[in-house]
Amino acid sequence: MSEITFALNGEAISISTAPDTPLVDILREHLFATETKLACGIGRCGACAVLVDGRLMNACLVRAFQLADKKIVTARGLDAVPEAAMVREALAAESAFQCGYCAPGFTLALIALLRDHPDADGRQIRTALEGNICRCTGYGSIIRGALRAAEAWRQRHGVPLPKP
Amino acid sequence: MSAAAGAGSRLAAGSTALQADWVRGRARPSTLVDLTSLEGLRGIDQFEGGTRIGALTTLADIARGVPSLAPIIGEIAGPAVRNQGTIGGNIAWRAGCLVPALLVRDARLEIETPASVEETDLSAWLGRAEPSLIRAILLPTLPDRHRWTFRKIGLRAAFSPSVINVAGLIGFDGERIRMARLAAGGGVVAPQRLDESEAGLVGRTLAETDWQDVHRRIEAELEAPGDRVRSGRYRRRVAANALVHGLSGKLPSGPARIERRNPKPASPPDEIRLSREQLADRWFVRPDLQPKISGELAYMTDHREPGMLVARILRAGLPHARILSIDIAAAEALPGVAAVVTHRDIEGRNAFGIVVQDQPALCHDKVRYAGDAIAAVAALDAATAEHALALIEVEFELLPVVSDPLAALEAGAPPVHGRGNLQRELALDRGDVEAAFRTADHVVEDVYVTPRQMHGFMETEGGYAVPTAEGGIEVFVGGQHGRRDRLQLSRILAVPEEKIRVVTSPTGGAFGGKDELTVQPALALLAMKSGRKVRMHLSRADSVLAGIKRNPMRIRMKTAVDRSGRLLAQEVDLVADGGAYASLSPSVLETALEHACGPYVVPNIKTRGRLGSTNNGTCGAFRGFGANEMSFAVECQMDRLAAACGLDPIEIRRRNLRAPGSPGYFGQAVAPTERLSEMLDAAANSALWREPSGCAPDGSEVYGVGMAFNYQGNGLGTLPPDFGGGSLRLAGDGAIEALYGLDDIGQGLIPAVQSAVASSLGCGRSDVRVIFGDTDAAPDSGSTTASRGTHVVWQAANLAAPGFSGQLLACAGRVLRREPELLEIVEGGVADKGSNSLEPIIHFADLAVALEADELPAETVSFPFPKSDYVAGNARYILISGATLARIAVSRITGQVRVLDLHMHTAAGPMLDVASYLGQIEGAMVQGLGLTLLEDTLIAEGQTLTRNLDSYMLPSIQDAPARTAVFALEDLDPGDTLGPRGIGELGIGAVAPAIANAIADAIGAWPAITPIAPEAVLDMMDRRS
Repeated sequence: MSEITFALNGEAISISTAPDTPLVDILREHLFATETKLACGIGRCGACAVLVDGRLMNACLVRAFQLADKKIVTARGLDAVPEAAMVREALAAESAFQCGYCAPGFTLALIALLRDHPDADGRQIRTALEGNICRCTGYGSIIRGALRAAEAWRQRHGVPLPKP
Repeated sequence: MSAAAGAGSRLAAGSTALQADWVRGRARPSTLVDLTSLEGLRGIDQFEGGTRIGALTTLADIARGVPSLAPIIGEIAGPAVRNQGTIGGNIAWRAGCLVPALLVRDARLEIETPASVEETDLSAWLGRAEPSLIRAILLPTLPDRHRWTFRKIGLRAAFSPSVINVAGLIGFDGERIRMARLAAGGGVVAPQRLDESEAGLVGRTLAETDWQDVHRRIEAELEAPGDRVRSGRYRRRVAANALVHGLSGKLPSGPARIERRNPKPASPPDEIRLSREQLADRWFVRPDLQPKISGELAYMTDHREPGMLVARILRAGLPHARILSIDIAAAEALPGVAAVVTHRDIEGRNAFGIVVQDQPALCHDKVRYAGDAIAAVAALDAATAEHALALIEVEFELLPVVSDPLAALEAGAPPVHGRGNLQRELALDRGDVEAAFRTADHVVEDVYVTPRQMHGFMETEGGYAVPTAEGGIEVFVGGQHGRRDRLQLSRILAVPEEKIRVVTSPTGGAFGGKDELTVQPALALLAMKSGRKVRMHLSRADSVLAGIKRNPMRIRMKTAVDRSGRLLAQEVDLVADGGAYASLSPSVLETALEHACGPYVVPNIKTRGRLGSTNNGTCGAFRGFGANEMSFAVECQMDRLAAACGLDPIEIRRRNLRAPGSPGYFGQAVAPTERLSEMLDAAANSALWREPSGCAPDGSEVYGVGMAFNYQGNGLGTLPPDFGGGSLRLAGDGAIEALYGLDDIGQGLIPAVQSAVASSLGCGRSDVRVIFGDTDAAPDSGSTTASRGTHVVWQAANLAAPGFSGQLLACAGRVLRREPELLEIVEGGVADKGSNSLEPIIHFADLAVALEADELPAETVSFPFPKSDYVAGNARYILISGATLARIAVSRITGQVRVLDLHMHTAAGPMLDVASYLGQIEGAMVQGLGLTLLEDTLIAEGQTLTRNLDSYMLPSIQDAPARTAVFALEDLDPGDTLGPRGIGELGIGAVAPAIANAIADAIGAWPAITPIAPEAVLDMMDRRS
């Protein structure tokens, strides 16, 4: 067991756990932060996506020993990200999800993309979301929601449209 | 460093591969050495003649910093993994996708051994056995004049395990090839340079090169093993194809010329294309979406309370064995264990099943599949529960494994249950097929195979159970029919149904896979034994092992037509894998055979279907429920017969279509509004027929378009009891509550109910609060399966509306001192009928406050689901139709199929909620695409080989069609009172045959085995060219 200190959605967390404990277990089992979903546990579906120091990662592949002093943002932590509300609204407007279990992970992946590439086009959106699996929608609605989110993001930040 | 840490240690960089390794059973290291603090191993720097990449540089950083590697990095894993995984790890793992590309670039490594720091060739390093730490990768600049190619061949379009990766680089001196590097690797293929093939290239010009010979050399030289998904032959062949095409633009053989008969345009029906833009006034945001997106909505596997116990289930691990003893003493004695349950704790019937109760909740005498549950443990935490499972000792006596459904039916096959292995046999004989086959002009026959598809819901089975003070139990587990789950639990627990509450919603996907009981019995038994709250969430591996799958089917179909394309006879022999327990498999078989002729008239029919018990997991309900499997066969046969007769795909169907209003397949009455010819007209007019066919300009792909028809029943059919119901009531806070015992499995129950109630009462959608998925809160509505929910929602609202409106207006009249007849329900409340303002004169909330609790209006209804008059077998009354069109590209390099366009024309009556309707069709189409091209759960000798989503290929976003379009024809026949039809299964039904027919359009032959193997496609192309 070792003592690990990191920031979760802006709040300092200190827990005692085995160094190889996956972050997804720390979140769901120790901290009851169940907005981070668990679907495959081996990094192949993106349901447990989080931001680690601003970068998208799968919480099932990040281990306690890699967490020291890191800033972790989960889907709930996006409440503090100014653009998140409009991204969520755009996804909801296009009825992007059905059962919704994959939705927090997709939202984090999309926000990670748009923050780096506010000019992202449909092809880049697909590439950025290829690590997230959705079983309900067939992805069409997610792509439409993501395009709408990108458009809202561009309008907010005055970014020109992607080249055709 | 590793040496210092001791034997059994392992170096970790990004550590993305560790988890998958551990889950596969590889031993955890005693010490994990975290390399990430070594700063000297980071960064990308240029040096004279090349680039130095620190070994700890993440793949994502390389994609940004080394342009020549960026496209290759993009083929490795997914974005989140690339943010974590490092180039050093990718190389040290040896199976990494990048290695072949680095080999042809003559990459060198800077390594550290206990003795020294040195530089070495990557290829030399790969052959070394002694341990070393990779510090950096030295990547020489590409030659001035060069060609270079890289291709990853995976199992799906993105985020895929590697089948094989190849890289090739040639450098020129003038026109002549001065140097050549060819390499392969990835997955089971060891990284290797192809020296002899390289030598054959040097010294010639590109034009002089005999590429056929290069191809042969590569195939001969490459060492590539086969595995259960791809043969070594396939790997060698596609590697040679990819290298030769990548370097020369050529392939060994030319594409075959395929003639297509395009359908004649017809007058199109009055469809609408579904989109938010097109139907803005009918597009509503689902109330449950924002909380799902934000993560605020807790699924039942998310529920946490301090002090809750955590449960795990002990699985058999063996496919077929007699249980001699089960010893739980050590597990019970483990500190932190609160309860261990076995069959000895079952007070009621230790058997469950929706129709036939043949599956033990916890096995007692024998196990019949590897996922069978034997015991369950509840402990203070997951680790303790898992430890306790390991302490349970079960003695088995092995029994012979029944692994093939056909062999299972042979005399002398070991019985899975006490009886023989023939779980169900069905036959139908009409007319004289033999005579018809003798006189027919064309007869087409093949064996169509469909896979053991996994539902793949993102939220695996799980939830929690709470014991009640009265000796009852509350069970919160995702399901598809709470009342039936309650009945089944009552039988097992010997607790009256009134003392059991089952909450089944919301759940993270179901598709039929949560129709049968899953973890409810174990959770309930543990909660009752421990007297405490218990939660459980199956790991994906456990879910894959234990969960129900689609019944694999082999359908031999022989169909005859006369010269004009009129169907004369059809013979069908279907063998389905029934798995270890019945669940709904017999009904799936029956449904498949019910759809044996699709919507076509066939005078002579002989069908036979058999369901064989095996030790191959369990099977049962899955969206499509046998109908889609049968449609695959029927609709491919139609296209093959059309080709034989020289007809286009629409014309042959038109000549054989049943007449609206005529008796159904069994002679039964069927519901009006069939819309079969309208759907054919829509398909005939599809823009996809006008898209280019033939070969892509670079020769790498050939294009094809195909269509298929779907004709699918709604509801459970004549034989099972099938009742709908629901309630409307005014709540104390003024909400109009609509109560349904249905479930939200993602399909959009809430907006559908809001739509139906709002339109039947005249109130607004947002006035309606939907209560569902809770046996204590809502009346029984039947199951959320079989595309029946839509009709139940609509009919219950319709039937309850007059009574409820009457009561509500009477109450409003009393409160307002007006005549109820002069009032009407409007959005937000009750208005004066005479006024045009639609402004409520009393809001629902104010009305509710003005009433005593027992005066609040409430109306409950129950009704039979519409059924046919045929009772000699199971038959559907409501049948809906649709046409699916697929445009595909077949890779001439890999044999893989990309779906470019997927269109579906649907006729299912008025849409309750446009967004949900569109979502159901689109989602089902891609699930069908997965069945057709990607998905299968592999089982050999009763052992499930597929463990998780690294080997089970759910379609990724890159596998989804580039473009989809969904059209709806909403009108009903005059006098049709059945309203909106359910479309949960319509979308999946015709995808496989549409894709197969499109492949035939592209390459001239029909694949009959799904998921369609790229190797089979390459072979078919060979035979044609």
